[in-house]
Amino acid sequence: MHHDIENPYRPIETEVIEVITETPNIKTLRLRPKERISFVAGQFIELTVPGVGEAPFTPSSRPAEKDIMEVTIMKVGKVTERIHQLNKGDIVGLRGPLGKGYPIDSFKGKEILVVGGGCGLAPLRSLMYELFDRITDFKRVYYRAGCKTAKDFLYKEEIGGWAKRPDLDLRLTVDEGGSGWQENVGVVTTIMDGIQMDYASGIAVVCGPPIAMKFATKKLLELGFKDENIYLSMEKNMSCGIGKCGHCRIGTYYACKDGPVFTYAQIKNFPNIWD
Amino acid sequence: MAQKYITYNNLLTLLDELGKDYEVYTPVKKGEQRFYRKYAEPADDIVIGEVRPFEPLKAFFSPAREKVADGFKPDIPHSENKPFAIVGVKACDIKGLKVQDHVFVDHDYQDPFYIKMRSQNLIISADCTCSIDTCFCLALGTKPFPQEEFDINLSKVDDGFVAESGSEKGDELIARCSRLFTETGEYVLSKKETQRRRVTREVEENIKKNDVPAQERLGGVIDKNYESDMWKDEAKTCVECGACNTVCPTCHCFLLYDQKNEERMARFRMWDSCMVKDFARVAGGANPRPRLWERLRNRFEKKFDFFPKTADMYACTGCGRCISACPAKIDIRKVLKRLANAS
Repeated sequence: MHHDIENPYRPIETEVIEVITETPNIKTLRLRPKERISFVAGQFIELTVPGVGEAPFTPSSRPAEKDIMEVTIMKVGKVTERIHQLNKGDIVGLRGPLGKGYPIDSFKGKEILVVGGGCGLAPLRSLMYELFDRITDFKRVYYRAGCKTAKDFLYKEEIGGWAKRPDLDLRLTVDEGGSGWQENVGVVTTIMDGIQMDYASGIAVVCGPPIAMKFATKKLLELGFKDENIYLSMEKNMSCGIGKCGHCRIGTYYACKDGPVFTYAQIKNFPNIWD
Repeated sequence: MAQKYITYNNLLTLLDELGKDYEVYTPVKKGEQRFYRKYAEPADDIVIGEVRPFEPLKAFFSPAREKVADGFKPDIPHSENKPFAIVGVKACDIKGLKVQDHVFVDHDYQDPFYIKMRSQNLIISADCTCSIDTCFCLALGTKPFPQEEFDINLSKVDDGFVAESGSEKGDELIARCSRLFTETGEYVLSKKETQRRRVTREVEENIKKNDVPAQERLGGVIDKNYESDMWKDEAKTCVECGACNTVCPTCHCFLLYDQKNEERMARFRMWDSCMVKDFARVAGGANPRPRLWERLRNRFEKKFDFFPKTADMYACTGCGRCISACPAKIDIRKVLKRLANAS
C-alpha cells in the first residue's frame, strides 16, 4: 500500500525572519522553515502566502546552510505583490526543494563560466556559494553578470567583494550606464568575449530573463561551447512541482521535475523554447 | 479466468451486497445520454451495456475539486465516504485510466490522493452492446469490450451477463457471492462473442465512414505538421470553453488553488484547461502560447506526441466525448485525418 507517501501539496510552516530590500522592486526574504529543508543550487521551492496562493522561486542562499533559506523575489504579480508586504515574524508556507539543480559534481576539474542577468543573479548566488565552498575542485570559475542599471544590480556590495577574490574572474555590466558606474556598459554578451578558457571543454551556466538567455546561449555556441555543457534555467509556470498538473511542459519534459535546469542539448530541438 | 453467468436480478442483489462496503454507481439513461448515478434500488433507467456515459471515469478518482492541504498539518485530508464501486465501465474509459495511472501512479512521483481512491475502488466493467456515431476506439487500439484493468467484466447476454473476473478482488467477490452465479454454457459464450463481433463491426464502419486514421498512421504526425496552417483553421471556431478537457478521460491537468482566507491555509485542486489563455503564462507575463491555435496544437501535441514519447501510448481513447461536447464542432477525427493525410 502507499500510505507512507507524503502529501506533496502541503507546504511546511515557515517563519519570515528578515526582509531585505535589494532594489526598488526586489526583496530578499530570510526564511526559517519549521522542518529542515536541504536543497542543491538550481532547485526551486513553492512559496505560499496563506490565503493568497503560491508561486515558484529559486533559493538564493548557501545550500550548506540548512536552517535558513533566502529567496530573492521581484514584484511582478499577485502573489509577489503580497510577498513584498510581508514583515519579520509573518508565517508563510514552503514546499520543496523541487526539480533538478546543477550537477556540480560533474563540473569537477573543469573551467566554469557563469553568466547571469537581472533576477537570474538570485539562483546564481546560491550556485556561486556552492562553487566557492569547493573552489579547488574546479580549474577556474568565471562570472559575468549584467543588469539594466546600476540600481537594479542585485547583491551589489557582496558581488563587489567577490571581485577581490583571486580565485574568481569577474566582470559586470549594465545596459544603461550612469554616474558612478565604473564597469562595462552594454548587454551581458558584450563581456563574454576574450575569456582565456578552453570553450570546447568548458561548462557554461546561464540564468536570466528568457531574452538574455537566448542571446547568451547563441554567444556561447559561437564561442565553441558544446550543447551538453550549457546549463539553462528555464522559467515556466511551475505549480505542482512533481509533473502532474501539466502547466510547465517543455517538449517531452516538465520543467518542475525534469528541470528547471536543463542542458541546451536536452531542449534545443523543442520548438519556441525561449517563449 | 473461468466465466460465470449472472442474471439481471442476481446482479441487482450483488449491487445491494456491494452497497455494504462501497458507494455503488451505475449508468442510467436520460434521453439519448447516459450518466452515472448512485445506486439505491432497482430502476428501469439503469443501463449496463450500451456505450460510455457522458462523464469520464476520471471524475471518480481525481474529483473536479478536491482539498489537498488543510493548514500546515502533514496529514492527508481524506473523506469519510466509502470507496466507489463503479458498474458498467467501458473499455475506452479503462484506457483513460491507464493514462491517469501513468500520470499519478507510475511516474517519478506518486500522488497519494489518486492512489488511495484508485486502490480502494472496485471496477465492474461491461462490454459495449452498441455504438454511437462518435465512437472510434478501434482506431486507437481499444476494443469495444474491456480486456484488462477490471475487477469483473460483464457481457450482456439475454436477460443476464457473462461475468469474467480480472483481479483478485473480482475472484473474491465471485467466490463470496457464488450463490448469485451459475455456470456458463457454450450457448451464452457464443452469444457473447457474436455480440462482440457485431459491435466491433459497427465501430469499424464508423471509422470507415468518417475516414479516421488508425494509430499506426499517427507516428510523428505532430512534428511533421507543427508549422501547418491547419491549426489556425481548426481553431477558428474554438470558444476556449475547455469542454474538451473536462469530458476527456485522459486530460489530467489541474490548478492548485488556495482558499482566500489569510487566517487559515487550505489548498484545493481543480481540473484545469490547457485551452485557456493563461494556462502556461508565467507571473512575469511571458506566455508560450498566447494564441488560441497554439493552444489547440498544444492539446494535440500533448496527446499524440508527448504521451507516445514519454509513456508509449496515445492519450486518446477514441471515446468521442470531445466531439459531442464541443460547441464549436471541432472534431478530433477530422483533425487526426488531416494530420495523417498531410504527412
